[in-house]
Amino acid sequence: MKTPSNGVGREPLFVGRGLTKVYAAGETEVRALDGVDVDLCAGELIVLLGPSGSGKSTLLNNLGGLDVPTAGTLTYRGRDLTHADEQELTLFRRNAVGFVFQFYNLIPSLTARENVALITEIAPDPMTPEEALELVELGDRMDHFPSQLSGGQQQRVAIARAIAKRPEVLLCDEPTGALDVKTGITVLEAIEKVNIDLGTLTVIITHNAVMTEMADRVIHLMDGKISKVTNNPTRRPVRSLQW
Amino acid sequence: MKALDLKLIRDVGRMKGQMVAVGLVMACGLAMMIMARSLILSLETTRAAYYERNRFADVFCDLKRAPNSLRDRLAAIPGVAAVETRVVGAVRMDLPGLAEPADGTIISIPEDRPMRLNTLFLRTGRYPEIGKANEVVVSEAFAKAHGFQPGDSIEVILRGAKERLKIVGIALSPEYVFEARPGQALPDSKRFGVFWMNERELATANDLDGAFNNVVVDVAPGGETAPVMAELDRLLEPYGGLIAYDRSDHASAKQLDDEIAMLNGMSIAFPVVFLSIATFMTSAVLARVIRLQREQIAQLKAFGYSSGQVGMHYLKFALVIVTIGLLAGGVAGAWLGTNVVEMYHKFFQFPSLTFHPDFVAIGVAFLVSSAASLLGVVGAVRQAMRLPPAEAMRPEPPADFKPSLLERMGVTNLAGPSMRMALRNIERRPWQAAFTALGLALAVGIPIVPGAMRDGINFLLDFQWTLAQRQDVTVTLIEPGSASAFNDIRHLPGVIHAEEFRSVPARLRFGHHSHRLAVTGVPAGTLLNRALDAHGNPLPVPPDGLLISEKLAEMLGAKPGDSLVMEVQEGRRPSREVPIHGLITDYAGLSAYMDIDALRRLMQEGPTVSGAHLSVDAGQSGAFLDKIKEVPRIANLGIKSALQQSFRRTITESITLIQSIYFTFSVIVAFGVVYNSARISLSERSRDLATLRVVGFTNREVAGVMISELVMLTIAAILPGLWIGGQLSNFIVQAASTETIRLPLILTHETYATAIMIVLLSAGVSFYVVSRRIRNLDLLGVLKASE
Repeated sequence: MKTPSNGVGREPLFVGRGLTKVYAAGETEVRALDGVDVDLCAGELIVLLGPSGSGKSTLLNNLGGLDVPTAGTLTYRGRDLTHADEQELTLFRRNAVGFVFQFYNLIPSLTARENVALITEIAPDPMTPEEALELVELGDRMDHFPSQLSGGQQQRVAIARAIAKRPEVLLCDEPTGALDVKTGITVLEAIEKVNIDLGTLTVIITHNAVMTEMADRVIHLMDGKISKVTNNPTRRPVRSLQW
Repeated sequence: MKALDLKLIRDVGRMKGQMVAVGLVMACGLAMMIMARSLILSLETTRAAYYERNRFADVFCDLKRAPNSLRDRLAAIPGVAAVETRVVGAVRMDLPGLAEPADGTIISIPEDRPMRLNTLFLRTGRYPEIGKANEVVVSEAFAKAHGFQPGDSIEVILRGAKERLKIVGIALSPEYVFEARPGQALPDSKRFGVFWMNERELATANDLDGAFNNVVVDVAPGGETAPVMAELDRLLEPYGGLIAYDRSDHASAKQLDDEIAMLNGMSIAFPVVFLSIATFMTSAVLARVIRLQREQIAQLKAFGYSSGQVGMHYLKFALVIVTIGLLAGGVAGAWLGTNVVEMYHKFFQFPSLTFHPDFVAIGVAFLVSSAASLLGVVGAVRQAMRLPPAEAMRPEPPADFKPSLLERMGVTNLAGPSMRMALRNIERRPWQAAFTALGLALAVGIPIVPGAMRDGINFLLDFQWTLAQRQDVTVTLIEPGSASAFNDIRHLPGVIHAEEFRSVPARLRFGHHSHRLAVTGVPAGTLLNRALDAHGNPLPVPPDGLLISEKLAEMLGAKPGDSLVMEVQEGRRPSREVPIHGLITDYAGLSAYMDIDALRRLMQEGPTVSGAHLSVDAGQSGAFLDKIKEVPRIANLGIKSALQQSFRRTITESITLIQSIYFTFSVIVAFGVVYNSARISLSERSRDLATLRVVGFTNREVAGVMISELVMLTIAAILPGLWIGGQLSNFIVQAASTETIRLPLILTHETYATAIMIVLLSAGVSFYVVSRRIRNLDLLGVLKASE
């Protein structure tokens, strides 16, 4: 099934056709992705929804250059990611992709500012760590170490770290999974802000159906296939979401 | 098998690299301990059995000539169990295949009574037949060096007369376990041998019919040697007796004692150092395992395992390491010990010296290393035992960090985040960093020891044989001779320059310290055998007074300006107070020099000489040697080039063995410490490192982040390592410093550079091995799992 773009008519950044990922699991095979077609455009906010094992993470990993599909094609701005080697994937991740993880994955021995600087120092056209942290409203916590920050603050540092290089793609794997509702909302607000202000294509994995309302498009996955795509004609601001 | 033990086996299997790394470092210490203790056991038991079976005497005394009838009076001295009176003489030989003459000691075998003390161990052949002339037994080392068999004959000069002797037996004696020419640091079996001959024949040859010139005494069990020696001195004084001495002054016995003392030092010093490092490594490994297995510990406790059971489970990890260390250390120790015993065969002559593993020592090694590693892991294990299950289920909060000291001091522009992470990591776990650096410093220090030994030996040879002893040949007469004897020698072909010397046996006494040695009278302005100061400058011999070796001054507790009592043991046995004028720097033997005329005045004698130092024209050395072999009255001939050659040959192999041991240990420690630290760092920070990979760092960049801390520690370890190496070398050199040989501590840039290279290379290889694991980081895993 082909996923139509959001009617915005923009050039897609990612084009996936027949994406299939098969893992060997002992003597059997697991088809984590089973012929997925997907077009993702610049500036879109996409939510990937689905139960455990539906293939959300596998799709995200393929988009982020952490993994390559077993079959099918995946291009980014026309560049083939399917056959990219380790080095090309590393460069792709370094220059184009920002990651936000469920457990923040900050380096504990570096302050907030330095965690961001770690990325800006290797990116071609980054914003300053200070700008990035201001964007997630952590300007006053820049010199704190992760152990001195709350979970929500740590996750916002992680978002600052992900967007400081001005990536075209922001991939978030259950960014609020380890947070309480209130903190979760502040984190989602930061992601929303980045998506709107910087026009970054943002893909969020979640279990939480409420979050679908903040998306332009919601891609439902089931057993490695896209079961449904929902377009939201208007996105709801995160602030107004009700858990 | 219990499930928990299965878990142990699988966990150990997964971290076998580290287990082996730590185990091997431990093994180095244990190998040294097991080797040294086993060698001590082997030497001590073999020595005890040999001394006992072959009745090695307790007291020894040389004299000029005493009638055999005195024997009974000596035997009646209270405390004496047995007495043997003997004739001891010197022989010289011209042996085929040897340009210069060889010499030896010849000892009588009683014919009218059984040999009571210092009996021979006859390897092959028989004793000389009673009453039969010209039959000898020769020492095994000498016979081996020349391939002599019973039945061979050998031409010798005995007291000036040429004789053809038939070898009838090959034997060993407990008084020649260390079979070297008196005063020499190393045996040279090609040029020195011991002979035994029928008493009557030897006495006749030495003008000692019905008399003896040497006595050895067995002191009754539990008895003191001092009163026996005093009584012996009193009785023998009219017969030209030299002062009696016991085993502690016996050349061969002392060498064995020195060797055992050195092994004793080694068997403690090395294990302590290596085990401390290994203990720390074990502790670091276990602390990490426990941190990683936080949740497993919680589950075990939730299932109902007691804290004690959990604690025991983790202690077993340490025991696995100890077992690896002990197995490897035991095998290596036995292997090294076997090799060292092989080496000992060159230095010590026993009827049979084999390697006996010291099982008590192995047991002690196991206990000590277990105790040490248990001590090291007790903190981590206690932490595991205390962990409440509910808390352990939750991931650990992010580690607490703060800006490093340098940053707090205002040095904020540190070279980037890798460096900052490294500094903060080091500061957060200062002890871990300190021990890692200490281990690396030790690895830098270890290879400095053999380098220092090699350079010390070269310096010693150069100092003794180029600067101090500039003569080519030293001739010693059988008995002090007149001016004409010196003239004869001086006019031998090829002699460019000759300097006479007079040497008298004496006891130098200062307070209650005393030492026996030969006091040598040399002419003023001597050019050949020179007394030197620490800078290698010649010290003029004072017209009155002594120049003595620094080591001798240290042993006597005297300093320049002090007066020593010099009790001469020859002639009229004068005793006089003589001032110390200066201290000589020398590295072999102990010396005391005085002006030759002053010595003669003291001895109340004319121009008597004991021998001469000669400088010989190299072009005529053949003619010189041919002629000198004909000169009677020469006891022995020290030819410098031959001594040097023999010394180098004997020492080179030993040094090579020692060097390879030290180098191997250094590589193991450097590799082990770096590998272990890097693996711990990799596993503790795998999530951080994988995150960096995910956000676009290359493998190389991630490796840089991971090893920067270790690189800093390695570099920081170099200077202290060089210092440790110096101290370690000094310790070994001091421990090996004896009367016969003292190595100077020589530390060269080359030695330092080699040590640094060894550590940098091992560390580099270790980094490389661990860095390869970065490729295997689980990039997908970090996105999900929290710890």
